[in-house]
This record gives sequence, structure tokens and C-alpha cells, in this order.
Amino acid sequence: MMIIKKIFLFYKRESKLFYSNIVDLFSNILFFFLSVFVFIFALGTDEQLLKTIGIGIIWSLLLLSSTLSLRKFYEEDFKIEILPIMHMGGMSYELIVFLKILSHFIFVQIPFLVSLPIVSIFFNLPTNEIYNLVLTFIIGSLILSCLGSISASMNLLNKTNFSIGSVIVLLFSIPLIIFSVGINNADNDFNSLLNLLIGIALIFLGVAPWSSAACIRLALNNK
Amino acid sequence: MFKFLINPSRFNKFADIIFKPLVVISSLILIVGLFLVYFSPLDYQQGLTVKIMYVHVPSAWLALLTYAIMTIYSIIGLAFKIPFSFVINKAIAPIGAVFTLLCLISGSMWGKPMWGTWWVWDARLTSVAILFIVYLLIIFLNHSFENRDVREKTTAIFILIGSINLPIIKFSVDWWNTLHQPASVSKLSSPSIDLSMLQPLLIMTLAFSLVGIIIAILRIKAEILIRKKYP
Repeated sequence: MMIIKKIFLFYKRESKLFYSNIVDLFSNILFFFLSVFVFIFALGTDEQLLKTIGIGIIWSLLLLSSTLSLRKFYEEDFKIEILPIMHMGGMSYELIVFLKILSHFIFVQIPFLVSLPIVSIFFNLPTNEIYNLVLTFIIGSLILSCLGSISASMNLLNKTNFSIGSVIVLLFSIPLIIFSVGINNADNDFNSLLNLLIGIALIFLGVAPWSSAACIRLALNNK
Repeated sequence: MFKFLINPSRFNKFADIIFKPLVVISSLILIVGLFLVYFSPLDYQQGLTVKIMYVHVPSAWLALLTYAIMTIYSIIGLAFKIPFSFVINKAIAPIGAVFTLLCLISGSMWGKPMWGTWWVWDARLTSVAILFIVYLLIIFLNHSFENRDVREKTTAIFILIGSINLPIIKFSVDWWNTLHQPASVSKLSSPSIDLSMLQPLLIMTLAFSLVGIIIAILRIKAEILIRKKYP
């Protein structure tokens, strides 16, 4: 029962942190909206064109705006040295990373979900595509959280090369964007692509806690 | 016997013995291979452009092989805490990047007369391009951190995660129906390439890998010296 109480306290702290800087999340979503606007201004307002390329643009801008909030994934906790204290409290680093990924998924990615139907109105997307978009985003944002955890923990001690974290996220999100945009193509089978997406999410849920915990341990040892 | 693969001083001794004969042998094999390529028969469809294959295929194989070696050395280095494996990782990453770039450039030079374009968004081509980006990221990560220990281990973890790409490259021609042709030379089945073309191809592969080994020996020795000078 102790571990459940610890997990509960962890999420209590996370939610408090989340409400204390909720403006950051709002500006993140605002960045997403504004980049959609800029894209439409750059392409022109041809309705048929926007309908055909809408999903691809929305997904690539979602990726870009999710890389904005990467550096604060572990940075605060690492700076005030809360991670070793949690570890001393009986949680392994792998568990901490797993909980952190879930909290990033709940507190940062799910609010984006509300903005997706609004954005798809701008592109005049048909209803089944909006449904597909929301469904793939729920799975895909879990993958994005895992990738964010990997790249943020890799770059904890990186004082010189700041952009490499975003590059790592974009690199590993290529299969995600291929399958989640291809799900709208009528030639492809819906269920098989959805299963592939779930499979990728499970692979990254397995890989991310291990590699992030190794990187965090490394950073704490050499601080 | 194979201690020189994980021990720097043994490696230095072994490299000193092997280096000069290796240079002589590899230059001989390279010259023989180039002659064989020159006298090899023309393809009845592709004409003269088939000879690009004798550069393209060995460099593609060696690009994959270099990444596989880096993956094995990352596992050894992280699991058994052998620092020499990180030296090798740092030394051979640019070699793999050059082989990948050679493969991409020769492939697109072949693609222009045969397919009509320099580049198509085909599964094999895209995954090799991603391999090139992974190599570049490894080189950048090797120059990023201040602390050497953190730098090497982070790079090793990144190499391990990036090795997901290797089976995708290998099986991309089987999983998707691609413009790139499937493998013609395979161990499990008899090769679908003619013997008069297979011989120069294998000799060129041997020559390429020997040249790669020579450059790798030079780079690893330089890296060991740097480590001794700045511990």
C-alpha cells in the first residue's frame, strides 16, 4: 500500500506544479494555433487544397509545438535535486520516469486534445478524419511523451548544444507521423495501422524508462 | 587471442604488426577489383551504369556493418564497463557516415538515368537517409558534453536506441513494395546475380572493408593518444 500512497503524492505534486505555471501550457497551445494560422496564410485559402493536406500539417505542427516544452521535463527536478530524494523514498528511477511520462501525457498532451477539433474546423476536415485524428493523437502523444523523456534526460548536462534534443524527438517520431497520417488514406487498412501505432507506443513505453533512468543516473553521478 | 579488441595497449601492438601488410594487401586487392570491374560484362538493360553498383552495394553493406559494430561495442561498453569500446565508437562513427553518404550519392547517380529522378520517397532510400542523420547525430553528440564520461555513455545509449533502424533498413524491401530492388545476394538462398558480376562485387567489398579497417586503425590510435594526453 505504501507505493500507491507514494504514487498518489507524486501526482499531487505534479498537479500543483502544473497549476502553478498553467500559462506556459496556454502559450504552448497558442503557439500551435498561431503556427496553423501562419501556415494557412502562406498556402492561401484554397478550400480543396487545405482539405487534402490538413491532417499532415496539423500533425507536423503538433510535433513541433510538443518539442517546445521539452527542456522543462526533468530540468526543474534536476536543479532542485528532488530526483535523488524520491529515489531515497523507495522509488526506482525507472518508476519515476514512467510516472513522469504519464504525468506529461495527462497534464501537457491531453489539453492539446481539446484544441484539435477547433483546428480541424479551420481546414474543413470531414468528420471521420477528425475522429481518426483524435484517436491517433491519444496514442501518438503517449509516444511523444516517451520521446520527450528520452531526449530531455539525455540533455540534462548538455550546456552547449541546445537544439539536439528537438532533433532527437523529430528523428524518432518519423514512424509515428507516417502511420498516423496514413491512417486516413483509403487504401490502407484502418485496424492494422492502429495496431502498428499501439505497438510502437508499447515499444517506446518499454524503452523510454530504461534509457531515461540510465541517463538520469549518469547525470546525477557527474553533476 | 581476441584481447586486442577490448584492450588499448594490445590493440596498439596488434595494429603496429598488421598495419603495413594490410596497406599493401588492400591496395593490391583494390587494384585487382577495379580491373575486374573494368572488364566485367555490361548489363543488357542498364548498360554502363551497372558499374555504379560495384561502389554502391559495398558501401551500403559497410554502412550497416559499421552501425552493427557500434551497437555491439555500446552493449559491451555499458554492460561490462570497458572504456575502450567508447573509443572505438567515437573513432568509427565518421567512417560509417562517409560510407552512408557514398551509398546515397552513388545510388542517386544511378537513379537519374535508370528511374528518371535523383530521389524517390521509397522505403529503402528513406531509411538509409535516416541512418545518415543518425550517424550525424552521433558525431554531434560526441562533441556536445563537457564531461567525457557523460558524453560517451549518452552516445552509447543513443546508438542503442537508434539501432531500431537497422532491421527496418534490412527488411524494408520485403515489408513494403518498393522501387528499390530486393536483395540479390543472400546467404540463405542461391544468389540471383550472375557469377561474372558477383566476383568483382565481392572483391570490391573486401577492398572497401580493408580500406575502412585501415582508416579505423589510424583513427583509433589517434583517439588512444588523445586519451593518454588528456585523461
